[in-house]
Amino acid sequence: MGLLAIGTPLEWPEAKKVASHVRSWGIEQLLAIWRDYKGKERDALLWGDEIEYLVVCYDQNNHKVRLSLRQADILAALATDEKLLAEGGGVPDVQTGDTKGIANPAPVFHPEFGRFMLEATPGKPWGIGFKDLLDVEPNMKWRRKIAREHMEASEFPITLTTFPRLGNKDTLIPDYPPSGPKLRSQFVPDEIANPHIRFPTLAANIRWRRGRKVQVNVPVFKDENTPWPWKDPTVNYDLHNWPEDDDVRNGAAPDNFIHMDAMAFGMGSCCLQITFQAKNIEEGRTMYDQLSPLGPILLALTAATPIYKGFLADTDVRWNQISRAVDDRTPEELGEQPLKNDRWRLPKSRYASNSTYISQDPRLRKEYLDPDLIVDEDLKKRLIEGGMDNALATHFAHLFIRDPIVVFNEDLKELDLTKADHFENLQSTNWQHMRFKPPPIGSEIGWRVEFRPMEIQITDFENAAFSIFIVLITRAILSFNLNFYIPITRVSENMETAHIRDAVSSQKFWFRKSPFPAQPASRSNGPGTSTPANMPSRPPTPGPVEDEYEQMSVNEIINGQNKEGGFPGLIPLVESYLNSMNVDVETRCDLATYLDLIRKRANGTYWTAAKWIRNFVQTHPDYKKDSVVSDEITYDLVKAAEQITKEEGHDGLGKEMLGSRR
Amino acid sequence: MKLVLSTSNIMSGGPSVMRRPFFEKSNTELTSSLRSNFTNQQGSPTQSGPSYKSWTTQADGALYIPTHEPSPLTEPRESYDITVKLFYLPNIPADRRCAQTREAIELVLKELGSKSIDLLIVSFPGISFDADDEDSDLEDPPSAPQSTSEGCDESEVPPEDIETMAATWKTLETLHSEGLVSKLGIAEFGVARLQKFLEHTAIRPSVNQINVRDCCVVPKPLILYAKQQQIELLTHNDCTNILPRGTLRQILGSGENGSGVLASESNKDGLRGDVAPQWVVKYTAVVKDRGVVENKGYFAVAELRE
Repeated sequence: MGLLAIGTPLEWPEAKKVASHVRSWGIEQLLAIWRDYKGKERDALLWGDEIEYLVVCYDQNNHKVRLSLRQADILAALATDEKLLAEGGGVPDVQTGDTKGIANPAPVFHPEFGRFMLEATPGKPWGIGFKDLLDVEPNMKWRRKIAREHMEASEFPITLTTFPRLGNKDTLIPDYPPSGPKLRSQFVPDEIANPHIRFPTLAANIRWRRGRKVQVNVPVFKDENTPWPWKDPTVNYDLHNWPEDDDVRNGAAPDNFIHMDAMAFGMGSCCLQITFQAKNIEEGRTMYDQLSPLGPILLALTAATPIYKGFLADTDVRWNQISRAVDDRTPEELGEQPLKNDRWRLPKSRYASNSTYISQDPRLRKEYLDPDLIVDEDLKKRLIEGGMDNALATHFAHLFIRDPIVVFNEDLKELDLTKADHFENLQSTNWQHMRFKPPPIGSEIGWRVEFRPMEIQITDFENAAFSIFIVLITRAILSFNLNFYIPITRVSENMETAHIRDAVSSQKFWFRKSPFPAQPASRSNGPGTSTPANMPSRPPTPGPVEDEYEQMSVNEIINGQNKEGGFPGLIPLVESYLNSMNVDVETRCDLATYLDLIRKRANGTYWTAAKWIRNFVQTHPDYKKDSVVSDEITYDLVKAAEQITKEEGHDGLGKEMLGSRR
Repeated sequence: MKLVLSTSNIMSGGPSVMRRPFFEKSNTELTSSLRSNFTNQQGSPTQSGPSYKSWTTQADGALYIPTHEPSPLTEPRESYDITVKLFYLPNIPADRRCAQTREAIELVLKELGSKSIDLLIVSFPGISFDADDEDSDLEDPPSAPQSTSEGCDESEVPPEDIETMAATWKTLETLHSEGLVSKLGIAEFGVARLQKFLEHTAIRPSVNQINVRDCCVVPKPLILYAKQQQIELLTHNDCTNILPRGTLRQILGSGENGSGVLASESNKDGLRGDVAPQWVVKYTAVVKDRGVVENKGYFAVAELRE
């Protein structure tokens, strides 16, 4: 997450007044970018991964682990490390070294929303040379090593999605009292967020716009000794510091749910995100559409989030918690009150699965689109007047139904078409599971697509495996011209399914039966093909959309259906792609270990991190079968995660997730 | 008469590019993509099928099945890596290979609208790679149905001697010096064969292709030797015996899955004679900096003898 310019942010009532203004300037900036770059062609495949860490701090003597809030100190240390700078690394927001002439520049580090988080990216983007792919895992390990070296001896950068006891007393170091003016959370202090003015403002204005605190409620896992109905014992009903303290007295914390009330509970989660550069805008739009249906499948397959606020949850992934943690919808937009002041009811949070397909692909049937999609018709009209086609205009006019949350006074003086600040204001606060990214103005960078649903994994081996798998899938999609379209509302349904405990083994997901054309394709290459007279020039009218897809297990989607004409499986598709490429034996062997991990996660041989963590808790001597994840368990769990990060299962710990490999 | 069978671009052709690990042998990519291209060109497959003459073309003493239409590459030549793999077939006199090689390359260059290829790999009949039986270090071997060569039919002939291969190699060296081919390669050579072979080469192979089944158990000596000789070991999943006896007869015949080119009881109109396969060539054009396979296909050439 890059930081936008510093300035004076408007408080919500003021920001609200200028929302339309920011939106219309954002649309003008988008049109300017689109006009300049729509013809950009033949960009190479470049891609990057982002690894996010939690910084934990061990208190060995008391067998306690806390989140360290020293993000700023760690970044300062990274930004001033002469050796790191000389190798081309650093902190882009502060300073980085010159990468010119450095074949393998050092990684770079970024702040994140949580003050206990750190993000690291490679020093230069990856290409598609297969040997490049093998640099990914060592680079991820290098990043963690560098991060670790700039921390205190008691600290460690860990890749768990969430800190198991975040929101409990005495889980932060240094510690601060909760109930600050920005978040008004009864569980976490304002100091939990990155102090850059953008972040507290974001949190405060979301709360303000919403008219109450965010409500992040996760169903609690019911174990043998879990009291039922279960009432979250950490909720304080007698707090009277802020008007929002009434929320819990007004039913914000229902029975049988773990209750959380601040952006930090969601945006403090660590994810594994991959961004690809497309050859041109069309290829980018194709990748956006074709990767969309894979989102929920990869979410289920990377599930790693079974604990919140010291309790076992009944779900396995982070997604909906982040969604609720930044949900700025008003009661009217949520449908709780009749529409009076607001413009429409909004079925989804700003952080949600995506709701549009954007390609001009003839295979995109109108039945795949959401008939109830909310769009800002005026802005769409403006985009179309400006020359944009309907599909893309609809997409952006859909993103622009939201209000800008953080508006800097200084930016409102005049419209600057050489900047993208207003456009990015809305674009980057629409957190959907795919993001379609126009080129940054004035750069050589092309149109990009970001794949956002995956959960961070405990080891760099796994993170490399999933990153590389997604890269290879995109190459297979483009090479075989694969078609994964299903109605977008089914993708949203799948996203919900992915939350269910052990969805990877227990659930089925809507998926397209065949990624290939229904009829043998006509000879599409070469103009002026002379087809025999009796040959249909177009495939026959397609049948009902409902016949194109069915429910499949993750195993069937990843490894293929064991029946004639069944879905071939993403891994066999990737292998078929690799068989068409010149890959050297050592590279192929390493790629095979990555694909093998994914194959075995999908078929249940290996456990997801969520399943492993759940098992770790439930078999811990301190666990009382009451859903409570104590300090003691958390300490051992985080220690175990650190050990797995280092040993990768070689010593037996975590072998259920990783196998006894290499 | 010569028969030139082609698949056209199989990348967008759908299922035929996918091996179905559960049902099919691995060398079906060629045969199923030939079939699917024929069906495609014949039009409606439900009727008894039009005469082969409507979808094939006779020119220069050859019958093109189906009528061949080139699909030239869309981007400038330097964007691509073009790899061609030529399969010499068993029981064909080696002295024909010079002409066969040129013919194969010409067909590929015409198909792709290109003037040169980057890598030409030749596959000699009868060779199959034997990884040493050393135990793998892997306690937990990959579960992949990766293995492909067990799906291949047994080789019909023993490998030929080094001198014959070396004679063929001379042809390839000529193509290289003419600038038609930038790099040369071989397939399935173990250390011993490779050592002997290298003594006979003026232009050394840059590539030795090994079946992917063995990619994690390729013997260390071969890896070291290849490194030392600067020969890149690449993976593939082709059968050396790419066109088992009788396959073409089936594809061209009038039975089930046949295309009705050859005469039969029900197809008096068809061609008569014995089909003798001569060679098979596979080509792949990859957009280098995007890793996208833009065009991949096969030509198979046979003699029809009255």
